[in-house]
Amino acid sequence: MTTRRKAVAATCAATGMVLGVGLFSLGPSTAVASSHREAPLVAADPAIDNTDLYAFSSPERKGYVTFVANWIPFEEPNGGPNFYPFATDAAYNIYVDSDGDAKPNATFRFTFHNVDRRGNSTFLYNNGPVTSIDDENLLFRQTYTLESSFNGAPFKTRIENAPVAPSRVGPASMPDYGKLRQQATVTLPGGWKTFAGQADDPFFLDLRVFDLLYGGDLSEVGQDTLAGYNVNTIALQVPYKDVALGGDVERNPVIGIWTTTDRPKVRMSGQTAPLTIQERVQVSRLGNPLVNEVVVPSGLKDAFNSLTPDKDASIKQVVDRVTNPEVPQLIQKIYGIEAPPAPRNDLVEIFLTGLTTKANGPIKADLNSQLNNADVRASDFRPSEMLRLNLSTPVTAQPNRLGVLGGDLQGFPNGRRLTDDVVDIELQALEGAAQSGKLVDALAAGDKVNANDNKFGGSFPYVALPNVKAVNNGGGTASGSSYSGSGDGHPDEATAPSTMPAAGEVGSVDDGMTAKMALTATGSAGAAALLVGGLWWWRRRSRPVLPVEATGSDDTRSHGERPDPTLPI
Amino acid sequence: MSTVTSGPRRSSPARAAVVVGVATLALLIGGGIVGLRTTGGSGSAPAAQPAGAGAMPAAAPNAAIERAQQRLRQVPGDWVTWAALGSAYLERARVTADPSYYPKAEGALDKSLKLRGRDNASALTGLGALANARHDFAGAARWAKRALAVDPYAAEAYGVLTDALTQLGDPAGATGAVQHMLDLRPGLSAYTRASYDFEQHGRVGDARALMARALQDAVDPADIAFCRYQLGELAWQEGRLDEAEAHYAAGRAADPNYLPLREGQAKVAAARGRTDAALRGYAELTLVYPSPTYFLEYADLLRSLGRTAEADAQVSLAAAAQQLFTANGGSDDLTGSAVALAQGRTKDAVRLAAKEWQRRHFADVADALAWALHADGRDAAALPYARKAGALGARSARYAFHLGIIELAAGDSAAARADLSRARDINPTFSPLDGPVLRSALTQAGVS
Repeated sequence: MTTRRKAVAATCAATGMVLGVGLFSLGPSTAVASSHREAPLVAADPAIDNTDLYAFSSPERKGYVTFVANWIPFEEPNGGPNFYPFATDAAYNIYVDSDGDAKPNATFRFTFHNVDRRGNSTFLYNNGPVTSIDDENLLFRQTYTLESSFNGAPFKTRIENAPVAPSRVGPASMPDYGKLRQQATVTLPGGWKTFAGQADDPFFLDLRVFDLLYGGDLSEVGQDTLAGYNVNTIALQVPYKDVALGGDVERNPVIGIWTTTDRPKVRMSGQTAPLTIQERVQVSRLGNPLVNEVVVPSGLKDAFNSLTPDKDASIKQVVDRVTNPEVPQLIQKIYGIEAPPAPRNDLVEIFLTGLTTKANGPIKADLNSQLNNADVRASDFRPSEMLRLNLSTPVTAQPNRLGVLGGDLQGFPNGRRLTDDVVDIELQALEGAAQSGKLVDALAAGDKVNANDNKFGGSFPYVALPNVKAVNNGGGTASGSSYSGSGDGHPDEATAPSTMPAAGEVGSVDDGMTAKMALTATGSAGAAALLVGGLWWWRRRSRPVLPVEATGSDDTRSHGERPDPTLPI
Repeated sequence: MSTVTSGPRRSSPARAAVVVGVATLALLIGGGIVGLRTTGGSGSAPAAQPAGAGAMPAAAPNAAIERAQQRLRQVPGDWVTWAALGSAYLERARVTADPSYYPKAEGALDKSLKLRGRDNASALTGLGALANARHDFAGAARWAKRALAVDPYAAEAYGVLTDALTQLGDPAGATGAVQHMLDLRPGLSAYTRASYDFEQHGRVGDARALMARALQDAVDPADIAFCRYQLGELAWQEGRLDEAEAHYAAGRAADPNYLPLREGQAKVAAARGRTDAALRGYAELTLVYPSPTYFLEYADLLRSLGRTAEADAQVSLAAAAQQLFTANGGSDDLTGSAVALAQGRTKDAVRLAAKEWQRRHFADVADALAWALHADGRDAAALPYARKAGALGARSARYAFHLGIIELAAGDSAAARADLSRARDINPTFSPLDGPVLRSALTQAGVS
């Protein structure tokens, strides 16, 4: 009461004036209404948000394919008190379609559980240095279950209570994070390796490149807008034979991969409790990179995230966006570079069928469509958006960041390696480079970010350790949290030198030799030569990642926002 | 005929109210609203705070708003981010109860629509959410339907539609809309709405389970606070004070700025007889959030303590706040009716509640109309509305109490006994003023 009375007394003196001024200066909006029930409408829900998917033949482990899938974008290092847990009510899925019907032949399902020993007494993530994955000082941790299902058979549990590598709190709390990473890397019967936990976001790009969708221009790009941020990674390595159709990678080397997040369906009607476990709702989906940014317009994003791939071909708007994309037209408007004529069946090959001569597409190459699998029935094939990988393409010793367009057939869009510069590749592809064999010179610089800020590891799970320095405290640069990749300590692990250096280091050596070797190996030299046509003049600018200081901008905090997946509504 | 004179707490001399009115209106503007708008500053912060609460912390800078603004400085044509900015302002308005965000939200959403007139479901949805916030529920439903025509997968548009249909009194439509939302994007926004739907149908266990799941998914402190408040409310409504108190406290630990939690704590304190803490809580709450509802609750508590003059002052403040709202074009006759009732203007209370009922057949409106009619001595007319309030099966001690009292007044003792007993079983401490009335009415109706 005293509080109120004091306030009353204080304000009463000024009453007359306030009344006079107040009523006029307060707009129609300032009166407080009695509130009805107002629930959050745009709630942050980053834990379900797919950011990227990578799939590649393991460079140092022959006969094994690696999937790296990431969630939770823009993790600021030091994001306490809960840091960045996986959602415990969601399932995180990696799917493989080996017969081309756009339905999974293999499903790998990861579900997470909290082990929270904080009680009500503390919000602290840890209460002392964490020196091992099961350190008592780590008060909040997660474990996960990995289940797999093949060809519609019931799910089988592969491991339970596997440790999740914790969010990296900082050097004092976690003096040897590499050890925690190593202890969270698990080898399973059958040669599988699995990892879940925090990592440096391996995606490198200048998100501002997408500003052209909104009338911006490309003149200001060149800064890795994801530098310094972390993500939550799920990585899985399995033998080729476990995912190739019929277990026969010789006859059926091509697989398609995508990831989703789903939550249990909730029913309002019915007698049972609202939770039903059997039915799931897909809330996020990702195959090829940047589809949500470049291909699917914002009006379709919600639809795309809820569609299963087998529906893609039947949704006219989705197909229309591939055959008649918006980006080339915008580029034409701004830069005068003529947009290739629609319908863009070359893009249909890249995004919806894989590169093949068997679907009457314009790109005369047989590289990564399930239609090229010997045991696939063409009548069962269904175009769908997924990342497609030919497991028989030999590992390139010195990867070219431009992948297939750069003459390196092991790169994107034939799967996706951590070092592939998918922004530049997709921009070129949208401008018709895959069909014409010519890279578009005016866009040669692309987003001017050619490599990740942190070095990737040479062995599973390959992704760099999480960053520890806050991104937005004025530094703006990566923490330089390199990962030496000395192996995860398992006996079958060859301690091979890194075969996946950061792309910035390989720029000057992509002289086409690699590509020629690869072509011979795949036995489709004639067709693929078209793809490599532009290579000779594409003397790649071995432009290193511009350090932020060198951009001349003092606005080091101006990290653009990834146009889609995180934007509310 | 009953001898129990119930409910409408008549303000003492009406003359006082008029006199106080002008001064309090100024007070409201000078103290209350300025206080609200400067919560981050130092000048108008309450002088005394409950132990441990500390001064009102500065409103946390909102990352979503800042990020959007930063991006729009670089790419002013980004209509997606303009819509996102508008929605971020609305979330902020909701969390801080500061309506000065509304015009900002409207500006950003209009800008988005101007940049992109077709296929812009985000902006249409945002405008729907804004209409809901301003109590224009019919308008909100129209915006939501326009958004869904453009993008049938827009989960948030179903959220706007759910809120609008709920308030308009179309429970079946609301349930359908929230089911669509759940089918498109299960998550906090859908769970909280589905929980409310269950709550209105009396399925308290399901409501609690879903709100707990929403809490599990909550990341933003304000979202955690919202879920905690609602879990507290679900416990409070059934008289489980310990549980309610624990949720409110946990909510405040997550986000000390989320004001409704203070209301929760104040009413639990009142129910427990911790009168000083309750009074302090309401005093502080109404200072930073001068909403008519909170003034009226505060007045009830004061009146229950026999502090009539102070109670009248709070009622006057409620009237002033409501007057300010309507003078500025707001329309909320539900609250207007409650204020009129508190001032003893029973005819006005009936008129206003009836007007609101014409607009929307929501349970709260039926309850308010019934209670106003009862206060006006028209129990036969009140009875069907009192029954409508509980028709969906909501477990509300207040609805049951009102119905029982009206039945008693209408001479149906048997029904009154049942409903008054039900009110007691649900939550005997539901109101500091009506709780004692409930007890004596039970005695009178022959329930010991």
